[in-house]
Amino acid sequence: MSCELKLKERIGTINPIFTCQPAGAQYASIGIKDCIGIVHGGQGCVMFVRLLISQHLKESFEIASSSVHEDGAVFGALNRVEEAVDVLLMRYPHVKVIPIITTCSTEVIGDDVDGVVTKLEEELLQVKYPDREVHLIPIHTPSFVGSMVSGYDVAVRDFVKYFAKKDKPSFKINLITGWVNPGDVTELKRLLAEMQIEANVLFEIESFDSPLMPDKSAVSHGSTTIEDLISTADAQGTIALNRYEGGKAAKFLEKRWDVPAIIGPTPIGIRNTDTFLQNLKAMTGKPIPDSLVRDRGIAIDAITDLTHMFLADKKVAIYGNPDLVIGLAEFCLDLEMKPVLLLLGDENAEYENDPRIKALQDSVDFDMEIVANADLWDLEDRIKNKGLELDLILGHSKGRFIAIDNMIPMVRVGFPTYDRAGLFRYPVVGYKGATWLAEQMANALFTDMEYKKNKEWILNVW
Amino acid sequence: MPYHEFECSKCIPERKQHAVTKGPGEDLTSCLPKGYLNTIPGSISERGCAYCGAKHVIGTPMKDVIHLSHGPIGCTYDTWQTKRYISDNGNFQLKYTFATDVREKHIVFGAEKLLKQNIIEAFQQFPDIKRMTIYQTCATALIGDDINAIAEEVMEELPDVDIFICNSPGFAGPSQSGGHHKINIAWINQKVGTVEPTITSDYVINYVGEYNIQGDQEVMQDFFKRMGIQVLSTFTGNGSYDDLRAMHKAHLNVLECARSAEYICNELRVRYGIPRLDIDGFGFEPLSQSLRKVAMFFGIQDRAEAIIAEETARWKPELDWYKERLKGKKVCLWPGGSKLWHWAHVIEEEMGLKVVSVYTKFGHQGDMEKGIARCGEDALAIDDPNELEGLEALEMLKPDIIFTGKRPGEVAKKVGVPYLNAHAYHNGPYKGYEGWVRFARDIYNAIYSPIHQLAALDISRDPIPTDKGFVTQRMLSDASLPEEIRASTTLRQYSGAYDSVTPLRDKTYPTFDSRPAAAE
Repeated sequence: MSCELKLKERIGTINPIFTCQPAGAQYASIGIKDCIGIVHGGQGCVMFVRLLISQHLKESFEIASSSVHEDGAVFGALNRVEEAVDVLLMRYPHVKVIPIITTCSTEVIGDDVDGVVTKLEEELLQVKYPDREVHLIPIHTPSFVGSMVSGYDVAVRDFVKYFAKKDKPSFKINLITGWVNPGDVTELKRLLAEMQIEANVLFEIESFDSPLMPDKSAVSHGSTTIEDLISTADAQGTIALNRYEGGKAAKFLEKRWDVPAIIGPTPIGIRNTDTFLQNLKAMTGKPIPDSLVRDRGIAIDAITDLTHMFLADKKVAIYGNPDLVIGLAEFCLDLEMKPVLLLLGDENAEYENDPRIKALQDSVDFDMEIVANADLWDLEDRIKNKGLELDLILGHSKGRFIAIDNMIPMVRVGFPTYDRAGLFRYPVVGYKGATWLAEQMANALFTDMEYKKNKEWILNVW
Repeated sequence: MPYHEFECSKCIPERKQHAVTKGPGEDLTSCLPKGYLNTIPGSISERGCAYCGAKHVIGTPMKDVIHLSHGPIGCTYDTWQTKRYISDNGNFQLKYTFATDVREKHIVFGAEKLLKQNIIEAFQQFPDIKRMTIYQTCATALIGDDINAIAEEVMEELPDVDIFICNSPGFAGPSQSGGHHKINIAWINQKVGTVEPTITSDYVINYVGEYNIQGDQEVMQDFFKRMGIQVLSTFTGNGSYDDLRAMHKAHLNVLECARSAEYICNELRVRYGIPRLDIDGFGFEPLSQSLRKVAMFFGIQDRAEAIIAEETARWKPELDWYKERLKGKKVCLWPGGSKLWHWAHVIEEEMGLKVVSVYTKFGHQGDMEKGIARCGEDALAIDDPNELEGLEALEMLKPDIIFTGKRPGEVAKKVGVPYLNAHAYHNGPYKGYEGWVRFARDIYNAIYSPIHQLAALDISRDPIPTDKGFVTQRMLSDASLPEEIRASTTLRQYSGAYDSVTPLRDKTYPTFDSRPAAAE
């Protein structure tokens, strides 16, 4: 009976769980209103990330490229950034925020992006756009460092760092959601509204689930404004839901602007949502209302129908973003399930000191492996060649063939989930998320029982 | 004036020469946009990179190969599971992708050792696969790793494996097209002529520039096999690595996508004297002509004619059912490269559609020449379009449907224009006679979806029709159709199966007597 945190044993990556840093920075950037990022590198670094995001959300988002070609790779490509900024500003009059997001190629050739931003501020912006509010923000996200998760974390910090400024104290709190779905934001906002807490929800992407309107006017973009970002320094406190996606910004605000920070836990499952509400209460002094007691009761009621009858002892493998994976594992334990394998798709020295991982190591009473720097072959190889038996897989769509080929039911969760309809619309956080997750898992098991004719008759009288 | 100036691009005057409208009586001398030039930074172009052109478009469809990208994880992740090039060996190439996972320390100290460990490890993990392609990326091109030397080393140590090197970093050219070129040339330089094939027919072809999107290659291979022609290799869809090493032994190169794969055909002609024949698997007439041309080359026209007659009789009434209902519908034909000229004329002739615009993301001027020549008057042709230009064109042209990629398709959706995936297809394959009917069926289903009427209704101000609980596609498409067409007993809707490709894999083919040996 042990729970071990280890690194992937192989040196290479077969079927990566994550893409690279610039993708995370791009995802953060589309959460800001009037913002179009410029990714400084080859065109694929943007084109494929836009495709990936559109696969997941079934929406298109605008992100530009500096289109570095061969000459730029040889002689330096800062002129491409200068031109890109000008072209973007000329053609998109509403744009105010332009992050310059670096990639491996432009970090390797050593383009001085910070220098060119200063130059643009002193020359182009003053001469050609003197009356226009424009913010150019260098964001360094070389692809050979970290992953899309750290890219998101770095970008959120850099945006906050750039804008945050004290004005007058506010009763609002900052809520940094991390890399979530529109459905999660809706649920978080609902919880805040029930608590009557005014929050500055940062990198607010609820509107990514955008309508098709009769006047054809809808475009998808995030809702966090420059003012929202500036006022982060005035907040009563910051809650960053995810340690690894927004934690850096929360720490920055605490250190630089004395805004108290609470980082985590990711409010997945009943227990972590309880803690989230307790944190909100502690930070604002607002009580937890009866309405949420009732909401919680509905979730508990739903879970009670499922847990000891269907979910107990089911062996689960979970992969994806670290905060999501840990949150799901904790919830699974509360549901009497056995998360036997957790795969974290990058290497991060902080995992060792993560109190949630330590708690798992201290208390889990079955064999659990936590693999950092993992890839999806870590999962498939264990199933195919090493005798791992699973009842369920929780993870994003890139692992779909593991479930299909090995006939293991799977609930899609995380990013991206392009092979199931509309999942971005549903929360995994909060009480609603807890209900949804438990019921999705149960329904996946039920469908599997029916396809495999494995005691499918049990459901006759449930 | 043939050039079309977009309002949104007036501030970048160089864009003006990248779009033309084909005026009355104009030919290519007066209306050919510039093409394949450097992208304008910040314009939000739709272009990809040369790495993706090499790895994602041409390399990965090879089905029995470990596809290893030497670089950080992102390049390989991003170009994985975003295409529909299937294979008859369980889709290994779709399911597995490999990255050497280059980190900061490797950027500083070099990543050759890492690469070698990766190659050996990947072969260990997949002991049944003995072939590998290694793709350079921006990062490893810039640090200057000698991938060839490492591959040579491994091939000496592991004599049963073979490794192909593709040096096509993302920045190598204005678009993915640069990568197409690089991998074409690399393949013929490194691999062609290194395997001697078994020849089983008097008529032997390489099928080139075909990527088996949703099974296109398998559909076309079926025709060739029915004609007794041996398809020695396919470059590269559903293609086998070792078959492609034997390309030099074909009698004829049958070329489908001349944008992405004409380079290797031209080299095969120069180096091995194998002629190139351009064909077209899309559309009844172009396909029939193509089969005739191939047959004529070998002197087996009767075999082609038999197939053409059989397939046309089977599928033409279904195509015509859709043609009657698609007449005059306006299309923006906005694919990546070659489909603008593969499809432009034939969807007009065989489906009655009206092409109001063509564009190409990575095509060259030659593609525009062919595309514009095949368009009617007033068609707007755009090279390397960007986000705003696309929207402006949609607003101006008000098409009924757009054929483009997944992400631009989402843009079109928001302005009320349905889209079909031009790269990966909706419910393909689209090649072959049946495939062409499937395409027509998909177009019909997209245009006549009752959802468009509902989408246009503003319930806050428009009168809300309350007389109908539902509307069918037929109620919309047949409303103004003459009675004799509506009630026709010869025309019929598509009658094929959801999966039209898998059954081909178990098919048996006639054997033909060998041609008598020619007198020496």
